[in-house]
Amino acid sequence: MSYLVMECHPGYVVLLDEEGRFFKAANLRYETGQTVYEPVLMKESPGKQKYTIRWISSGIAAVAVCFLLFWGVSYYQSYMRPYSRIYLTINPQVQLDLNRQGTVVGLAGVNEDGQRLLEGYDGKGKNKVTVSNELIDRAIEMGFLSEGGQVSFSIDSPDEALFQEYGAELRVGVAEHLDGRITIEIVNHKSMQREESMEDSSSLEESQSEQTPSAPLPEESQPEQTPSAPLPEESQPEQTPSAPLPEESQPEQTPSAPLPEPSQPTVTPPASSGSSNYGNTDYGLDNDGVTDYNNGNTDYDDAPDSDDGGSNYSDYGDDDDDD
Amino acid sequence: MNDEHKIVQQVYAAKNDIQAADHLIGTYMPFIKAETAKFLKRPPIEGHDDELSISMIAFHEAIGSYSRTRGAFLKYASMLIKSRLIDYSRKEQRHRHVISLSTPTGEEDTTLEETLADGQDYQENAASRDATRTEIEELSRQMQEFGVSLSDVADNCPKQQRTLEACKRALQYAKENPELLDEMLQTKRLPIGRLASGSGVERKTLERHRKYMVALLLIYTNGYEIIRGHLKQVMKGVAAR
Repeated sequence: MSYLVMECHPGYVVLLDEEGRFFKAANLRYETGQTVYEPVLMKESPGKQKYTIRWISSGIAAVAVCFLLFWGVSYYQSYMRPYSRIYLTINPQVQLDLNRQGTVVGLAGVNEDGQRLLEGYDGKGKNKVTVSNELIDRAIEMGFLSEGGQVSFSIDSPDEALFQEYGAELRVGVAEHLDGRITIEIVNHKSMQREESMEDSSSLEESQSEQTPSAPLPEESQPEQTPSAPLPEESQPEQTPSAPLPEESQPEQTPSAPLPEPSQPTVTPPASSGSSNYGNTDYGLDNDGVTDYNNGNTDYDDAPDSDDGGSNYSDYGDDDDDD
Repeated sequence: MNDEHKIVQQVYAAKNDIQAADHLIGTYMPFIKAETAKFLKRPPIEGHDDELSISMIAFHEAIGSYSRTRGAFLKYASMLIKSRLIDYSRKEQRHRHVISLSTPTGEEDTTLEETLADGQDYQENAASRDATRTEIEELSRQMQEFGVSLSDVADNCPKQQRTLEACKRALQYAKENPELLDEMLQTKRLPIGRLASGSGVERKTLERHRKYMVALLLIYTNGYEIIRGHLKQVMKGVAAR
């Protein structure tokens, strides 16, 4: 290929090849307008090549950073983040946070004794069985546990298989350590909670059913109709009569015959003196199904203002003088 | 230390200024000769030893590629000169078996060159070279009106074949639409938008190689027949498409 010398400088010449490309080349005693055939072309700047290397190295660095980030997140997920929990209950109750590997990543005392048990103890990074054994030993030393006592492990795990695995490990590990001196109980935390909540709900239902007779009820046994008013200290919310009650008093039910248990306004039909005017209340045969709190037609409004053994409603509410 | 700072400043100034680069090369000519002498094991003869020219272009290359992160400039330039001289000597070794025209024939102090029949017409060659030089000088002057020098064009020339082909397509479109060339001569501006839309070449490509496109389009305006004659392969690929 021939090159046309376009420009001459002391250090180089500018050449034009037949394809229209311009080059810088060594000035081997060339003159402008001369056609040359084998020039020594100037090499591409190493600086530009350096940029390519820099791009490649930046790419590698970026990939490395991504890998490290991914590895870091995986490490955190698998080793640092609590995945399951074990509640160790002696009398002190201690919460053990475990990672996916079953290693303890956090310890917390659930109750005051639990916090005392953990004082000066660091079990992070240890196996759950080791920590359990050490805590049981500490509990024995501190007098929380003695021979013949019971230790309960409540395992809160995301799946049943893990519960089974941890349960078996704890049972074997701790039983071996205690040598049968202390009873070990292992329960599933979730099912226990579920049972508790079911018990709570059933007991609530029972109490509600007890309080809901088929016959028309007196006003005080209808908690749904209870207006929001300050409650007396000894009264029970579910069984609270609809109107504010004085402490240790049974106003509505016993204008004439007070009940023996003051704080239990039970479902017993009111032993009233027959002075209740059902025709004007929400109950009884003439019940219109609408609660009339302020229509002035209840029996309460007819109560005397003075404390005559019946209810003195003026003692409650915003104007209560607490006397 | 101050000298080092001064030379670094001079080098950075010479990167974008051709005159400053030529001046720097002139100033450091003793250094360039010394580096060449180290390689040749003798002082180079100016105008005779190609190695000195190689050293000079290596020094020019060092100016263009130097950055402060590369350390002292003179050490960097020395290293580059040595590398280029080694490359050149390796390349020249391939021609060692070729007999020089200056070889004495052994008869009455004549050289081999003198005994060979020369088919070239020196007068015609000289006339052609003068005509070419005149054209190049005119082109260079016209390019100055666009604020472009031939050295700039050499720096701005496409390196990749694909980019070169794209520029040629833009040139072909300009040739088919001579009003574009006229407009460029009048406005002294490259009609990049119309070239890009007409030729289908990306505007960014043309913007990056604006100086090269200016030189190429100017060559294809009126005049410059000799240069166009040299560029016989430029439009071959485009015409084939």
